[in-house]
Amino acid sequence: MIRSSEILGGALVLIGPVCALSKPIAFANGTTVMVEYGAGTMQEAQIFYAPQYNYSVGGGHVEFDSDVTSESERVTYARLNYLLHRWNLESAQANVFVWGGAGGATGSTFSGTEFAVNAGAQADYETRRVYASLKTDLQKASAFSIRVDTLQLGVAPYEHEYNQIATWVVVQARQYTDDIHHGTEVAVLLRLFKGGAWVEAGITNGGKLQAMAMFNF
Amino acid sequence: MNPFRALLLAVLTLVPLVVRAATIEMHVNGLVCAFCAQGIEKKLRKFPATADVVVSLEQRLVAVALKDGQDIPDAELRKALTNAGYTVRTIERSDTPIDVIRSRLGQPKP
Repeated sequence: MIRSSEILGGALVLIGPVCALSKPIAFANGTTVMVEYGAGTMQEAQIFYAPQYNYSVGGGHVEFDSDVTSESERVTYARLNYLLHRWNLESAQANVFVWGGAGGATGSTFSGTEFAVNAGAQADYETRRVYASLKTDLQKASAFSIRVDTLQLGVAPYEHEYNQIATWVVVQARQYTDDIHHGTEVAVLLRLFKGGAWVEAGITNGGKLQAMAMFNF
Repeated sequence: MNPFRALLLAVLTLVPLVVRAATIEMHVNGLVCAFCAQGIEKKLRKFPATADVVVSLEQRLVAVALKDGQDIPDAELRKALTNAGYTVRTIERSDTPIDVIRSRLGQPKP
């Protein structure tokens, strides 16, 4: 049976160029909407509003489906994102973000809804030609504790200008705890963005779709 | 009034209007991504004195075209860009029309 998250992932591929450097805070007074289809093991949707450039508030929903066991978890959460530090260099920018939140979780290994907490951090560095980010995100309840660590390295074949489509080729390596996926999941992604719309899609070493779309407005 | 004084008064009144800057050019650190720089454009367009905004990632430049006879103080510009998350290096004023700057940057007219 096809899950709604798989339909969503397929739709992202069909709408084409939408999601370089995914940040939980885009700009002051801006709203960010993000949906990710993570190779069938993690699907996530988020919406955040940033009153200032250094923090945003909002929430999200994440679904984990183990490809090792039959275990699955769903978490809906409210979250605060904070820009701990930004380095504005002449031709580069680097950031450290942290976030934390709380919400409710359901799962296949427990009944009812459990209180869950969310915490994470991201460090990134970007020029117009290269990009690197390391992100860790923890979803924890009494019945489970899932941490997702994601490393991304990107290269742009050309230096995009403000009014042009930006193109990036990104290699992503991801590890899950709690038996969601064994080993390191590697994906090669094509990332395109222009204006406030960003799309990325690619294939993992397991032959599965990895895709994300993000909109800033 | 003495005609000479009247002429001097007129010149002193009109000259500042004639030579008032048409464009403000700002060099900005951290300007590497169009996706993020849209916040700068959004903020600058909110100033009543703003007629147009041009952003160049290549030159790390943000240019603001001013409406006739209007201006935006440097302190306001620095505050806007700092609040957008960027670092302003320089602010320069000139009477270069924004379309000339666009042309210099190789950007098409909107």
